Amino acid sequence: MLRVMADPLNIDANLEGPASPPRDNGEIVFGAPWERRVFGLTMAACRSGKCDWEAFRQRLISRIADDEMRPYWQSWAAAFEDVLEQVGVLAPGELDGRHHELSKRAAGIDHD
Amino acid sequence: MNDATAARVEALEALLVEKRIVDPTVVDEVIDHFETNVGPLNGAKVIARAWTDPGYMQRLLADGTRAVAELGFGGPEGHMIVAVPNTSTVHNVVVCTLCSCYPWPVLGLPPSWYKSPAYRSRMVAQPRAVLAEMGLELPREVLIRVWDSSAEARYLVVPERPSGTDGMGEAELARLVTRDSMIGVGQPLSPDAARDG
Repeated sequence: MLRVMADPLNIDANLEGPASPPRDNGEIVFGAPWERRVFGLTMAACRSGKCDWEAFRQRLISRIADDEMRPYWQSWAAAFEDVLEQVGVLAPGELDGRHHELSKRAAGIDHD
Repeated sequence: MNDATAARVEALEALLVEKRIVDPTVVDEVIDHFETNVGPLNGAKVIARAWTDPGYMQRLLADGTRAVAELGFGGPEGHMIVAVPNTSTVHNVVVCTLCSCYPWPVLGLPPSWYKSPAYRSRMVAQPRAVLAEMGLELPREVLIRVWDSSAEARYLVVPERPSGTDGMGEAELARLVTRDSMIGVGQPLSPDAARDG
């Protein structure tokens, strides 16, 4: 079997929280289910032609540059939103509205 | 913060499904594809072929994308794969200073540390020190080349074939090739280490 050759913990020793590194040979890529989901949503939207991969990549670079310390998948999610607004799939404020509704409904209810 | 983003992504998916931009089943399939079909084993097969077939090695170094496609690997995120060979005097290591460009079809999804600000900035400035921290001590006389990946060139390191592998076939050799050795932050396994694992 393939085994870990390098110790990725050392390099991220100063990082905390969601940016902390995987413990295995790259198999743990996502730290939370939403990270996995937003990745899948982006790839599915790109493959259906609604999101241009290069436009997304450029937004991701900008979002990472805006705040280097923001966890990677949050920059990714923000960049995906940017592109969807740019191409008119999402109206400005539309996601805020739905997010707010969903948060109100979910308040006090345990779910995953 | 994490919970807020989770709710936001949930809201985003609901909107995209309502607007018929994505189908949740397709999203599941895409994730499953990247998690199970696309991984470092693909890259390991490419390297093992290059180790055993000098003609393939030449083609890989001349046009990485095309050589990788010979083995059936490719796709939109695999354009412009550039293979860079390690030698006894040159060690290559890959980083993406801007975001996370990475040859997905042959290495799978990048590990978290590859995307971390620490790796992205420090590997360029202090490659020898960072490699040592990651467990790879290189002799002083070995030159380290740091390759900055982009959409125009996604680098794949071709590690040196380990010694003691003369009689080994392609499949056996592929088991020695780690993901980290193809990023350049590690070496392939020795045949002994592979047997123990």
